[in-house]
Amino acid sequence: MNTRNVIEIKDLTAKYDDRVILNKISLDIKKGEIFVILGSSGGGKTTLLKHIIGLLRPVSGEITVLGKDILKMELEEFEDVLKKIGVLFQGGALLNSMEVWENVAMPLEQHTKLPESTIRNIVKQKLSLVNLRHAYRLFPSELSGGMKKRVALARAIVMDPEILFFDEPSAGLDPITAAELDDLILDLQKKLGITLVVVTHELESIKRIADRILYLQKGQNIFCGTIEQAKALGNEEIDRFFGWKEKTKNI
Amino acid sequence: MNVTDGNTVTFGDEFYSSQIELLLKKIEEIKLATKDKIVLDFKKTKHFDTLALATFINFEKDPRINSIFSEEILKDIDEFKKNIDYDEKAGGEISGFESFVLKVEDFFSQMKSVIILSADIFYYSYKAVFNKEGRKKGSVYQQMLLIGNNAVPIIFLLSFLIGLILSIQSAAQLRQFGASIFLVDLIVIGMILEMGPIIAAVIVAGRSGSAIAAEISTMKITEELDALKVMALNPLKYVVAPKMLAMTVCLPVLTIIANMVGISGGFIIGVLYLDLSPDIFINRAVSVMTLYYWYQSMLKSVLFSWLIVIIGVHFGFNVKGGAEGVGKAATASVVAAIFSVIITDALLSLIFYFEW
Repeated sequence: MNTRNVIEIKDLTAKYDDRVILNKISLDIKKGEIFVILGSSGGGKTTLLKHIIGLLRPVSGEITVLGKDILKMELEEFEDVLKKIGVLFQGGALLNSMEVWENVAMPLEQHTKLPESTIRNIVKQKLSLVNLRHAYRLFPSELSGGMKKRVALARAIVMDPEILFFDEPSAGLDPITAAELDDLILDLQKKLGITLVVVTHELESIKRIADRILYLQKGQNIFCGTIEQAKALGNEEIDRFFGWKEKTKNI
Repeated sequence: MNVTDGNTVTFGDEFYSSQIELLLKKIEEIKLATKDKIVLDFKKTKHFDTLALATFINFEKDPRINSIFSEEILKDIDEFKKNIDYDEKAGGEISGFESFVLKVEDFFSQMKSVIILSADIFYYSYKAVFNKEGRKKGSVYQQMLLIGNNAVPIIFLLSFLIGLILSIQSAAQLRQFGASIFLVDLIVIGMILEMGPIIAAVIVAGRSGSAIAAEISTMKITEELDALKVMALNPLKYVVAPKMLAMTVCLPVLTIIANMVGISGGFIIGVLYLDLSPDIFINRAVSVMTLYYWYQSMLKSVLFSWLIVIIGVHFGFNVKGGAEGVGKAATASVVAAIFSVIITDALLSLIFYFEW
């Protein structure tokens, strides 16, 4: 595996009005790994994600995505970076006025000059990848929550991105669907060699998919590394999050 | 719960919220009957709920009630008091003047964001005229159908009625002076300069301005705008530019329709009520209808179309809250659009009339 860093963040500080949401966060994400951002609610997980994909601007700090400083570039340059990443939003964020296939085809139609038939074939392939052949002509409002997320996943990977961001992929899904989504994520990493950045607090999926984790507590980076290292660290909050403390008590 | 001695009420093991109403009634009765202190004896009470607890705290404040609580209740009252000990308003009370200043500040910051937004909208819409990249195929055509085509019947009906009524009211006056022929001047100038552009703009603001605000605010709430942004699709290009282009074309066309239909309403009154001959009406109308008037009319309607789009988009982007916010954004956009259309119309009319 190539260990080139695809995302580098230095001293990122973010505020909403006067409240500090992120305090001097620094981290590197390596190519091809599954990087999980976790922490308790209100810890700044989603805010960090939104900064990396350029939806929010930090007060200070540096964010480098695919070797380019995204804070110092023009909108058009940034759009070129955005074409190489995919984002899966919490609620899916599909365009409700379009059918499923149109939603998935949209990035291709807008950013490539591929002929219509090729686009349709790519869309069909991505939809079968997420097991949604039957939803091709449905509208987003006709889908269940899990199906919407899978369509959004198909849309996020339709341009074969280099980095894929997930905002709470399994929130609101039943354990079986959530596990299927995790399989899908692992599959994608293996097949396409995509780097994945996942925001979640589902213990099961963290344990299954994470290569490295970042633990945020009230906007502070309190740990960044593998799960084994986290276990060895013995930080009280992290132990409580993973439920390790009780286990040691029982022994 | 039982009254033991005139003004003493003793309670058993439990006191729940279902009994509060009865107790309050009893307290009122005792208060009316005697002027002594009322004693509430909760010494034995060990089981109670939050509503009962909140009621106990109120009893403490009443100088005519002397309540005796069990240890359990006292402990929970302390806990409860700790939990309610904070200000409801985080920023403290805002005085009348301060809130006025805040409103003025808010107005100016909104104005600033409207100006920046309009610059962006003009930039991307102008680019979209020559470059089809970054928007959905056929979206301008689709928007033209929605904004223009579908509004034709109602514009037709309303401007016809307004032309008809305007001329019938003025015809009665003009007839007294034998100035019937001037009905033509009145209705032609009135429709082309004022009524036509305003009717079209008000109807389009109500139909499409609110629709734009509602659509964009819904997209914002469901994160669709964010999703577009991260797919490297600029919402201004993808969503707003087609609407802007369609509106810029459609409103002037609708205004032309409103003008002509309104004048034909006047034609009917002139011919049937004032006994003008159709020939004379048409000749007079054509000679009154100078290109200069048409130019003013079109200028107004183009400006109105931009106002409607920019205001709709502004309120859509700045939506707060959920479903209620969408409704508020739509309402606010219509009110603001009609308001600014009429202000702009008044300003332009004054400028053109006095040839400043």
